[in-house]
Parts: sequence; structure tokens; C-alpha cells
Amino acid sequence: MGKLILRGFAERKVRALLTGIAIALGVALMAGTYILTDTINHAFAEVFGNAYRNKAVVISEKETLGRGDGPEISILDEATVDHVRAVPGVAAASGSVQTRAALLSGSGKRLTSGGGAGLVDGVQPARFESFTAAKGHLPDAPGEVAIDQATAQRQHLKLGQRILIAGRSPARRYTISGIAKFAGAESFGGGSVALLTLAEAQYVSGEPGRYDGINVAASPGLSPSALASRIRAVLPSTLVVRTGAQEAANQTAELEEELGFLRTFLLIFAYVALVVGAFIVFNTFSITVAQRTRELGLLRTLGASRGQIMRSVVAEGLLLGVLGAVAGLFIGIGLAPALDGLFKAFGADLPDNGTVLQARTVIVSLAVGIVVTVLAGFFPALRATRVPPIAAMQEGVPAPPRPLPSRGRLIARFLGLLIVALAISAVTKSKVVLPILLILWAIRGAMLLSRARRAGQPRRCRMIPALGRGLGLIVSWRGVIGRLARENSIRQPGRTLLTALALTVGLGLVAFISVLASGAKTTIESAVARSFAGSLIVDSAQHGEGGIPAAVAPAVRSVHGVGAVTAVAFTKGTVRDLSKHGAPVIEEKSAITAVEPESFTKMYEIKWEQGSSATLRSLGERGTVISKKLASAHGLHVGDRLSVLTPSGRVVTLTVRGILEEEVLGLLRSLTISRSLAYSAFGQRQDGAAFVAYASGANGGRVEKGIDELLRREFPQTHSQTPAQFTKEESSRVNQFLLLVYVLLALSVIVSLFGIVNTLILSIYERTQELGMMRAIGASRRQIRQLIRYESLITGLIGGVLGLVIGLVGAVLVTELALSSSGYELSIPAGTLILLLAVAAAAGLLAAQIPASRAAKLNVLDALAG
Amino acid sequence: MLPRTSPANSPETVVTTPASATIVQATELSRRFGEGDAGVDALRGVTVDFPSGRFAAIMGPSGSGKSTLMHILAGLDRPSSGSVTLDGVELSSLEDAALTKLRRDRVGFIFQTFNLLPVLSAEENILLPLSIAGRRPDSEWLARLIDAVGIRDRLSHRPAELSGGQRQRVAIARALASRPAAVFADEPTGNLDSKSSGDVLALLRHAVDEFEQTVVMVTHDAHAASFADRLLLLADGRIVHDGGAVSMEQALDLMKAAA
Ligand SMILES: Nc1ncnc2c1ncn2[C@@H]1O[C@H](COP(=O)(O)OP(=O)(O)O)[C@@H](O)[C@H]1O
Ligand SMILES: [Mg+2]
Repeated sequence: MGKLILRGFAERKVRALLTGIAIALGVALMAGTYILTDTINHAFAEVFGNAYRNKAVVISEKETLGRGDGPEISILDEATVDHVRAVPGVAAASGSVQTRAALLSGSGKRLTSGGGAGLVDGVQPARFESFTAAKGHLPDAPGEVAIDQATAQRQHLKLGQRILIAGRSPARRYTISGIAKFAGAESFGGGSVALLTLAEAQYVSGEPGRYDGINVAASPGLSPSALASRIRAVLPSTLVVRTGAQEAANQTAELEEELGFLRTFLLIFAYVALVVGAFIVFNTFSITVAQRTRELGLLRTLGASRGQIMRSVVAEGLLLGVLGAVAGLFIGIGLAPALDGLFKAFGADLPDNGTVLQARTVIVSLAVGIVVTVLAGFFPALRATRVPPIAAMQEGVPAPPRPLPSRGRLIARFLGLLIVALAISAVTKSKVVLPILLILWAIRGAMLLSRARRAGQPRRCRMIPALGRGLGLIVSWRGVIGRLARENSIRQPGRTLLTALALTVGLGLVAFISVLASGAKTTIESAVARSFAGSLIVDSAQHGEGGIPAAVAPAVRSVHGVGAVTAVAFTKGTVRDLSKHGAPVIEEKSAITAVEPESFTKMYEIKWEQGSSATLRSLGERGTVISKKLASAHGLHVGDRLSVLTPSGRVVTLTVRGILEEEVLGLLRSLTISRSLAYSAFGQRQDGAAFVAYASGANGGRVEKGIDELLRREFPQTHSQTPAQFTKEESSRVNQFLLLVYVLLALSVIVSLFGIVNTLILSIYERTQELGMMRAIGASRRQIRQLIRYESLITGLIGGVLGLVIGLVGAVLVTELALSSSGYELSIPAGTLILLLAVAAAAGLLAAQIPASRAAKLNVLDALAG
Repeated sequence: MLPRTSPANSPETVVTTPASATIVQATELSRRFGEGDAGVDALRGVTVDFPSGRFAAIMGPSGSGKSTLMHILAGLDRPSSGSVTLDGVELSSLEDAALTKLRRDRVGFIFQTFNLLPVLSAEENILLPLSIAGRRPDSEWLARLIDAVGIRDRLSHRPAELSGGQRQRVAIARALASRPAAVFADEPTGNLDSKSSGDVLALLRHAVDEFEQTVVMVTHDAHAASFADRLLLLADGRIVHDGGAVSMEQALDLMKAAA
């Protein structure tokens, strides 16, 4: 029996190869994802390890609300450092500053790759400094900067050149005094770093005289942990004291958590590709079992048991799975750098030194690949065991038809569905759910009816013939070849369906996501048009650099022709409901928007559930306006009192003054408070954006120019946009994400191509004699090629149409059920969807290339001999 | 159904038919399969011509080279040496594309296994060679043909819905649809019961007599051979008998002698 499996495998080389590749590609993306994220993680762990090697103890501030949500005004200053120095066993201590900032060339060009934010580091005393000067020297005067080697090389920066640094303060120019190299490691994880003197770094961070950490060295013989506990004993509990090793581990762990998102994101696409691969395995095995019916019948006649048949087919799946998964693992090793390149192309700079292949990667990839293959092959195996011995004597013994559900069951199911649909409609107030479900049910009913009419005959899939006939019209005008292709494509409807479905998975997701993304763009556009009454929006020039310096709004206000400026800031807080017993926490990290009420109401149209512009104008420092979502989730009413723990550790009490309707732009979040409160009690130091209105009668173009000049000169980290530009930028951000998703889904589409190729080759193999006859009676090679191409084109289009319908229906349902209540609009990107069908057609034609030329090359006599 | 002529009872009719032009001519054909010691000589110097408007039967033991000869005559295979001229065209000079065109326009085929396309109706199958060539059917000719094969009431049926005899009759109509210079039939009755065989053979006879078609038929069956105007016997790649029409008994005797 084992021999038979191997022999069968060898005989079915091509299908094994194609099916193996289909599995391998999914496994490859999976392995590649693990390798990529592990490699990044490893690179950063190395960076962190090196950065803290020469620091016995590190002191930082406790982040009240958790990571990344620390107060913006640090409580660490030189006095704290002196306090630490006085602890016995401290050999040295130094305050440190690290902040994000825009790094620009003298002419204003961004130096960071991908345009992201750079890092500004205050130079430490030599014993703590992780950077050394590769050229020149590290800055020791206020106007000097050292830039990391990789960035200097990439941007061709030389000593003596001047660069611009803009963080949370107006930009300053610095002269490059040195090229810095990160100690003991190849790279500093891919980012750009500028080293300034401590005081300058403090200026850039917007907090002169403040540190965000303290590095401590221990006296000889004193262990870091002993020193840490001594220091902990003398410092307030708002400060965190860790050994250097702990800090490195801590930062690595935090990074690992962030990488987890990337990993999950990529793994989703790997699983999609594997699902497609599973379709192909299932289809291939089904076809093989069908083709081997006689052989299997013969084996049964010769005394093979069902178990043996089962084992032989499953073993073939196992062998295939092992080969596919191993191949996938190797492809994945090669794919990891490509993924890295993909993210670089989309602006995310990830370090890529070395390749980390963990045992987990190998085990998970192999296990998933093998299990998916074996499972997909299991059902065809089961069918193989049902082949009766008599099949050895006959041609095509059909499997018994599936029984029709009883009338009672049908009615019960229908009623159940109706109730569910009505319930959903009632809850979501959506108008489309019921019609869609009813239409789906009607289609299902029609299929059942036609099955009932054909009762007793083998079960036939009805949708595919209809689809195939319809789509076949595209080629049927091309004479008899087109007509034949149309008929052939629906000859084995089940097989065509499975082949097409593999393509449907990828294309359906593309359709789904493109409809949602199109909705997002429309939603933003109309919301901006509806809500924003100002002339300009000033915000961070680069996504990810955070906000704009607090000094921007006053500076813009002084530009000639500006009528009003209103700054909006974003912060967070832990919210408790004081009106309930025990004052329970209702939101751990509540998103809070801080506005200047008076000017804000003039520039932004708010939809009120309860309240009015007057409510906001009279908000004061003790009032808040909350979102409807928060209000309905926690039963809050106007007049209720909330307490908010701020990032700087203070607790403020606020009274609910009004409730806002859903706000799609996400500007007004869970809580809206006054900006002055944010600056006084939340440690707020910068704004998210500023809205500008021109003075009446001012020349808009000239005012915009004046503002842009100011921003370029003093705040190059910011830029101004008209509402139309803002909308466009948001759209292009959506488009970029969309493109990334498309690239990743392309893998699934490629996998399904292998499925189409496989099915075509198998069906050509079955039809050899037929093709030989056609050649004998005068069909040219070109006509045979055309026939196969058209068949594949139809299959591709079936996949495309199904994907389009499923994706569209899915997106409409999701929009209606889950999103429309928050103001999300539905928009159908007709162009993209048409393009999708074109891709499906192209996929079909592409997949047909090899099978078509194989079919055309068939020797007429050999083919006739069968 | 067609009037059943019984050629075995009236061999004279063939003899009195005026001699007509040669439509297929083969000279010194040999065909070797494989190389060296393992090679098989399927044909060893066959020279034969087929006049237009006649019905020739080729018989011979299994493996004697009948199919090989027919394939070469029809332009499906090339001889190792020797030449074939079909309807005035020398085949060895033709490229694959030209051969394909020749088969399409001037040759008709009838196979043992019918080889109809299951997805097409009977009528579409009949028209297939014309459709492939992109030619419009001659409707008058088609009507005659359909009446002759007697499947008018089955035209819209698919092959799966037809009996074996009906299928082969559709296949004959397909072979005749383009009015080919020659029709080649390889064991056309090999898969049929005797009643259907009789119908098919009578139909071929009718095509020769009424439509002036040239038919070359390979057969195992002495009864089938008795419908032909001429009997060729092949043994071991050589022609061992070439004569006029024979009765079934005569054919059997000749076969025995050749074996
Ligand atoms: N494609 C081929 N390859 C090798 N040998 C062949 C091939 N076709 C036919 N033969 C051999 O040539 C001889 C004649 O075959 P064929 O013409 O099919 O005989 P017939 O039709 O009279 O039974 C046989 O010995 C057969 O084995
Ligand atoms: Mg033969």
C-alpha cells in the first residue's frame, strides 16, 4: 500500500507540484511573518541591551495611564538628579532627554527614511553615552549636532553642514559636528538619531530644565539591584527605578507587544492564503479520487479495506503537506526580507540585520501547513472509501445524492431566519438587512426547488451553470470555440465552483475592503465639508510625529489677515462615574479632546444630542461634554459628575453639561473639555491641530501664503492644509493602507492561480481523446489554445463575480449593521470593482497559459489513442 | 431508413462502375516505430491508390498496420519513407498548420469510439468541422445528409441521449458535412451491435453510391468488408491481397489465408 501511495504520487507529479506550491505560499507568508517580526525584535533587543549596558540603574517617571501616556511635563529636574547623587553607592548620575522631532536638511527636506519622525538624544557624560563619534566629535556646544552614521550616509551629510530640528518648540539650526556610531551594534534599529547637548535636547522637547530619565552608575562592588533598592527608598513613588538590564528587558517586552499587531496583521493574510490553498487541495483530491474511481474500485475488489483506502489517500495528503510546508518554510526565509522591503516602501522603517529563525517559526509553520493539507484532503479521502467494488467494472458510478431537507425543517429554518433578520433590523434600524436576507433565502429556495424537481438524480450545483452560461456569453460570440468553452466550463460545476472559489476568497476580500475604504473616504469628505467652517487646518506635517507646538496657535494668530485661530488638543484620562455607588471606572484610557470653546464653536459645526453651542461656550474648567456612545454605554446624563485621573496624576471632577451625537471625524472624543484645563491639570504641552479662519475681507491666498511662510520658518514640523487638501491627504492615507492590503492579498490570488492551472491540466488530461479528435478533424493548435484560455477566462470571471457579490454584500451589511450608526456612509467604488473583474479575467487568462500550450502540443495520434 | 443494398449479392455493379480519378495515392510507404532492435516496422513498402467515389475496406490481423496506414493516408502521421498524395496535394511537403487545414477541408474521420463532443448537440457535432473552419454550412447538403443518416428528430439531443448506432450516424454525418475528398473510418462498427452495424455500413455505402464520396474503412469484420467495392488485405505491414468486392464468406477465407 505504501508503495502504491508513492507510485501514485510520482504519477501525479504535476498536480502534486501545483498543489504543493499552493500550500507552500501560505506557509511562506506565515514563516516570513514570524521571521520578520522575530528579526526586528531581536535587532531592537540588541539595541536596548547595548543602550543600557553601561547604566547600572535607570530612573524614569511612572506613567499614570500606562505606556506612552505619561505626563507631558516631567517632574525630573536637576534637583532630582542631585538627590540621587547623594545616595551612597552612586558613582555618577546624569539626567537624560530623548524626544521625537522632525529632522530636516538646511533646505527643509526630511532626513528620516520613509519620512517618519526622528529621535533627538541629549549627549550623556562619556560613561553613559552609547554613541561614539565615528567622525568629528559629539556635540559639546549649543549649536552642534551629531547625526547617526546610517542617516548621514543615506542623506550624504558632511561635517559642517547645517540641519534643522523641530520638536515641540520652534525649529533651530545646528551644525553637524560629528557622525555618530551606536556602540557595539551594527545599526540603531533603522531610525534616525540626532544628538544634541542636554540643554538643546531639552529645548527641542519643549521642557527646558526637565529630564525624562536619570542614568546612574554604581560604585565598584555594588550590585545594580542593591543600588536600585537604595535609590527607590529615597525617591517618591511616582518614579520608577529599574536596573539597566530590567529596563532593557522592559523596553524589549513593550516592543514585542507592538510587533504583535504587525504579526497578527500579516498572519491574517497568511491564513487567507492557506484557506485558498486548502480549497485547492480539496479540489485536487476530489478530482483525483473521481479520476481514480475505477482504480479504487479495483483495489476494493482485490480486498483492500475502506481503512486502507482512507489511509492511502490521507497519506498522500500528509506527504503533500510535509513537502509543501517544508518548501514554504524555505520560501518564507527568503520572503522575510521582501516583506521588510514592502514595509519600507510604505514608509515604515524596520531594522533588518540578520535573520532570526526560531524553533517556534519552524514548528508552527510546518504544523499549520501539514494540518491544513491533511484536513482538506480528508473529505475527498472519505469519498474515496465510499467507492464500491463494482466501480471497477463500470464507468462513473455517482455518489448517492444528499437528501432534501423536509418541508417542516425548511419552514422552521425560514421562520428562524426571519426572526433573526427582524431582530437585527429592529436593533440597528437598518433598511437593507431584511431585503438582503430575503433575497438570499429566495435564491436558496429556488435552488432547493430545482433540486426537488430533479429528485433522484445526482445533486448538481445550479448556480455555476447559470453563472457559467451567462459569463460564457463573453466568449460565445467567438464561434464554436467560444461556445465549446462556455459548455466545458460548466461541465463539472462542482469542480468549477471550487476552482473559482479559491479566487473568490482573495477577490472577495479586496471587494469588501475597497467598499469599506471608499465609504471611509466619502465619510471623511462629507464630514469635513459639513462640520468644518474654517479656512485652514494646521497640523503635524508628518503623520506619527504627534501634534504641533503650543506656540503655533499664537504665532499664526498674529499673521496679518487671520481672523481667528482655535487650537485643539488631545489627551487621555481614567474616567470614573461619581454618580454611581463606589464610583466605578467607566473608561480606563478615555480619549479626551480639549478645545477653546469660544472660537471652536465658530469654526466647527457640532451636532448635539443634548445641548447647544452655548453649552460649550459656558463649559468652564469644571464642565465636560460627552459622546453619545459613552453616555448610552454607561447610562450617563447631563448633570452627572465624573472624576478623571489625568496623565500627570491629578484627579479632576467634571460635570456633564451636554451630549454629542456620533462624530465620524473622531475630533470630539469620549470627553470634550476646555483646553485651559488640559494645560493646567493634564500636563498638556502641545496641541493636536489648530483651525484658522481668515478675517472677513482678507485676501485668502495672501493670508495662506503668510501662514505657510511662518510655518516653514519657525515650525517646519507643521503644515497648513485647506479642508480640501486635508480630505485629500486622509484619502491618500486610506489608499496607502488599501494598497498594502492589496499587495498582501495578491498572494492569495496567486495561490488561486495555481489552483486554476491545476484544474485545467487535470481536465485536459481527462479530455485528451476529445482534444485529439478535434485536432484530427481540423482544429488548429491555436484554436485548442483558445478553447482552454476561454474556459479559464470563464472560471476566472465566475470567481470574480462571486467575489464581487460576496464582498459587496458583506461590506454593505457591515456598514449598515455596525458602522452606519456612527455616521459612516456607504460608497461603492465602481471603478475598483470593475477593475476587480478585469483582474479576475486576467488571472484566468494567465493561469491558462501553460495548460493551453500543453493542450495545443498534444500529439494527435497519442491523444486519439487516449 | 436507407434501402439496404446487399453488395455481396451483386458484385457486378462494382465492376461496371466506370474507372474514376485517383483521389489518394500512396507510394512505397514504410513506417517504423522506435529505434534500433526495439523498433517495429508497422508498414513495409505499401503502394496503393484509391479512386474517387469508391468504398475500400482494409482488413488484416491485429497489428498488421491497418491503422498506421490509415493515419498516414489521412495526414495524421508521417511515413518513415514513401509519399502520400491526397486530392492532388503531396502530404510530406506540408507543415503542421497546412496539414491541419487539409484535414479540416478535405478529410473526414469516423472513429471506433464515435468521439462526439458531449457538450454539443447532435447538430452542433455534425457542424463542428465547418464551425472550426469558420465556414457556413450548405443547407441543402446538410438537409440531405441529415435525412440520410436519419436523425432529424434527434438533432437537438446531446450524445449522451443517443444510442451507439445513432452516435455513429451523427459521426458519419460530421465526417461528410464538409464534403471531404476522402473519408477514413477506423473500425466504425467495432463498438456496435449487429443491427446498428448494418445501419452504419449501409449508410457508408449510401454515401459512396448517392453522394459519390470516397470511403476507406479499416475493419476486423468480414460482414463489414462485404459492403465495400474493394478489399485490401494487410499482413505484417504489406498488402497481401487487393481485389474487388467479396462476400462475407470470401472475406473470411481470404483472412484465414493471410493469417
Ligand atoms: N505509436 C506507436 N509506437 C510504437 N509502435 C506502434 C505505434 N503504433 C503502432 N505500433 C505498432 O505498429 C504495428 C501496427 O499497428 P497498427 O497499425 O495499430 O495495427 P492494426 O491497426 O492493424 O492493429 C503494431 O505492431 C503496433 O504495435
Ligand atoms: Mg488498429
